[in-house]
Amino acid sequence: MRDVLAGLTFVGFGLAFAVVAASYEVGSALRMGPGYFPLVLGGLLAFLGVLIIAKGFLAGEGGPIGAVPWRALALILAAVLFFGLTVRGLGLVPSTFVTALMAAFASRRTGVVAALLISVGLTVLCVLVFVVALSLRLALLGPWLGA
Amino acid sequence: MRWSQSFGATPTRTTANRGVPGPRFGAALVAAALVVAACTAPGGGTGSGAPSAGGSGAAAGGYPDRAINVIVPFAAGGPTDTVTRLVAEPMSQTLGQQIVVQNVAGAGGTLAAGQVAAAAPDGYTVLMHHIGMSTAPSLYADLPYDPLVDFKPIGLVTEVPMTIIARDDLEPTTLEELVDYVKENTDTVTYANAGIGAASHLCGLLFMNAIDTELTEVPYDGTGPAMEDLVGGQVDFMCDQTTNTTEQIQGGAVKAYAITSPERNEALPDVPTTAEAGLPDVEVSVWHGLYVPKDTPDEIVQELSDALKAALKDQNVIDQFADLGTAPVAEDQATPEAHRSKLESETERWKPIIEEAGVSAD
Amino acid sequence: MDLLSNLALGAATALTPENLLWCFVGVLLGTLVGVLPGIGPTATIAMLLPITFKFEPVTALIMLAGIYYGAQYGGSTTAILINLPGESSSAVTAIDGHEMAKDGRAGPALATAAIGSFIAGTVATLVIVLFAPMLASIALSFGSAEFFSLVVLGLIASVALARGSTLKALAMIVLGLLLGTVGQDIYTGTPRFTFGARELFSGINFVSVAVGMFGVAEILRNLEDEKTRTVVARTVKGLWLSRKDIRAIIPSVARGTALGSALGVLPGAGHVLASFGSYSVEKRLSRRPQTFGHGAIEGVAGPESANNAAAQTSFIPLLTLGLPANPVMALMLGAFIIQGITPGPNVIVDEPALFWGLVVSMWVGNLLLVLLNLPLIGIWVKLLTVPYNVLFPAIVAFAAIGTYALNLNAFDVFAIAFFGILGYALIKLGCEPAPLLLGFVLGPLLEQHLRRALIISRGDPMVFLTRPISLALLVAAALAIAIAVLPSIRRKREVVFREEEAV
Repeated sequence: MRDVLAGLTFVGFGLAFAVVAASYEVGSALRMGPGYFPLVLGGLLAFLGVLIIAKGFLAGEGGPIGAVPWRALALILAAVLFFGLTVRGLGLVPSTFVTALMAAFASRRTGVVAALLISVGLTVLCVLVFVVALSLRLALLGPWLGA
Repeated sequence: MRWSQSFGATPTRTTANRGVPGPRFGAALVAAALVVAACTAPGGGTGSGAPSAGGSGAAAGGYPDRAINVIVPFAAGGPTDTVTRLVAEPMSQTLGQQIVVQNVAGAGGTLAAGQVAAAAPDGYTVLMHHIGMSTAPSLYADLPYDPLVDFKPIGLVTEVPMTIIARDDLEPTTLEELVDYVKENTDTVTYANAGIGAASHLCGLLFMNAIDTELTEVPYDGTGPAMEDLVGGQVDFMCDQTTNTTEQIQGGAVKAYAITSPERNEALPDVPTTAEAGLPDVEVSVWHGLYVPKDTPDEIVQELSDALKAALKDQNVIDQFADLGTAPVAEDQATPEAHRSKLESETERWKPIIEEAGVSAD
Repeated sequence: MDLLSNLALGAATALTPENLLWCFVGVLLGTLVGVLPGIGPTATIAMLLPITFKFEPVTALIMLAGIYYGAQYGGSTTAILINLPGESSSAVTAIDGHEMAKDGRAGPALATAAIGSFIAGTVATLVIVLFAPMLASIALSFGSAEFFSLVVLGLIASVALARGSTLKALAMIVLGLLLGTVGQDIYTGTPRFTFGARELFSGINFVSVAVGMFGVAEILRNLEDEKTRTVVARTVKGLWLSRKDIRAIIPSVARGTALGSALGVLPGAGHVLASFGSYSVEKRLSRRPQTFGHGAIEGVAGPESANNAAAQTSFIPLLTLGLPANPVMALMLGAFIIQGITPGPNVIVDEPALFWGLVVSMWVGNLLLVLLNLPLIGIWVKLLTVPYNVLFPAIVAFAAIGTYALNLNAFDVFAIAFFGILGYALIKLGCEPAPLLLGFVLGPLLEQHLRRALIISRGDPMVFLTRPISLALLVAAALAIAIAVLPSIRRKREVVFREEEAV
């Protein structure tokens, strides 16, 4: 199962890259255009993916995939995306605080109080390290907050 | 992958923090702070005092009342970054506020220009850009801004000349011989450049036009690797800014045929101008200028332009520019009007050259 | 003798109290900033560059060099402790270093990194003193054909990075190569796989890939079964190396140092190839290759030494020719220029105090680093006792800010999320991230040099075989394949024969 899925992933990426690459000027082996290299590699990746799938079927079980921490996955990705989306608009302090808060909730061991404490502490720490110590010029409060 | 060289925001030194950098290290880097605070900066002379920032030029309306960001569209450590940092220091003294140099590299400088075009027109976001400002509209079909409309120029800063150089064992000894050599050996000669739209690429286009011959161009990912291969003899010749070539020419690692400015250069007195050497059309300089978003009030533009003019008279700036093989522009060039007409004429000039060469970056 | 008087001049310059102090401040700052997740040496030095503007030139450069190798140390620390490499070469350290940390052996892993780096730094400094001009001219003789062949060799050797399926490792390398093609094609200006996003024109940021594939993916794995599993062993099995450890690392350090010193001189790829190459050499030579990927101390010792040796010798092209070998050196060149010195081919003759002072300070800096880092090991290991539910939000926050600050580009932050999912999914499916990272770093080099060599040769592919260095490298690559394939063929044959006999 794992091998088949891995193989499918590679086939997918390989074909996607190859198809897009084919829309660029391809050229020839000795006069390569921008599409040549990714086209060849995309094809190679898809081929390797097929081999992996074949191996997966032949060898049978590829081991279980195991549990996926869906809640942590969603929260951490949301935290990172939130930071990217808001750091300019909200400014470093609110953006970091919310990011840290979302990330903190990703752990089932962290309660509300603990999460708040963690994110306040981290926000202070980040401001100290990046703004005070490293003089990184990011607005602490951004234009969306009228600052 | 592309290496990211620049780390966002890096303040230039100002009068306010000259001397001991102590407190800035504080807090988290406690140990460092202790060491730093315990001693004065080397070089002695400047001492540890923080002379008053002056603020002599503070404008009516209170501009500037906080730090000004100057965005450099290329990586830290490169020629444009260096020019910016050198000019930023005396400007910050005149304006009485810190100037923070930020490097926003990417897409041939159009990423940073796009950001500044969309920034608040309050004079706190300033763009430093070079000749690429005038070539971008011809290179990029869907540029998200118009250099002539979306910005107000503040003034020119410097015009860095370029030099036509070759590996030191290339046969020709003069530019004239080089032209003949290139024409006779079109199927072996190689011309190095630092990528589409780079100054070295533009100079190559001019050269090809002037001698009416196609060159085999070998693009590199920046000037450094191109110079490396030229010194190593892997490619035959190139044309690049004096900032990058002067030392290599003086040290004998490469040979120089001509300089692309109307006058000879002090650092390279033996190198003839392209006009002297018979190719007057190959005249090009990498000119740098400052811009603000289009709706910035004129008083602020004037304020910045005055600060720029003062900075260009600073002895340290003049000396450091001379080391780079360039000089500040004349005072009447460091004005919004002169800058605008330069931008317009250069945009006009490059459009047909780039179109004819069939070059496009998107 | 000339050399002695030069070294005396260097020592006189580097050992003034002022320069010594700023060298120390440099390595300390470098270490501390380099330890922050998502921030490697390039970012650290770019960020701290302006601090040095007001110094004397020699002092400024000594401090910057100190920041550089300090950050290198710091980056290894993060790789070992939280499996987050700050730059490509410490991705290798993370493989076995982090496994050691999980096993409660973070102390010995960090000590190995520190000692290996110190020995490598010392030897590499000697190499600079004795052979700098010679090595520089060898570096210049490397054209695109040679680089292409070298990268091919590096990619083939790197299959050794996989602890599991070779096929999957190959696929990961190819996927990495493909991701490396994202961005503007330097030959034609065509933006590839950018979907109109100008932010992607200069390619995907390495730090985003590393933070996503290693950092975020690792966090997600650790959160899988929080209730039943502790993340990193809380019980620390000693901070120091055992006799057995020391015996194991000596030959690895020696080989890594030699490899790193040689490859560091080569512009662009030297540094990465050195540490990846060293890992595969160690794995091949080891009597217990199966321990690699599961906490083999040689897998930390070799690459860390190679990495640091290469960091030192990568100064050679800059110091002897005025040509920067990599982005960090380009930054150093900028620092020289702002200091009013433009290094050219004559910098050794024109500025002897600067050259020899900087060289001597490199050794001093390495000594300071080892003195600084050995006591710090205790503190770093304590960091692991911070509860994981506090530690991982900190990693997320620091990595996001650090990555953003690099270029003020929100895309770099979004890319973390993308590579976080991708990395986690692939790891779940039994694919390891290190080969992908190597492919990602080497991909652009492979393509650029291949295409450039063909442009210069006017489309003649024989250029790769007629140039002797290129030919030698390709032969070595072929041998590497043979060595990799033969044992398994022989083993299969033996199996077949045995079966036949049985019949």
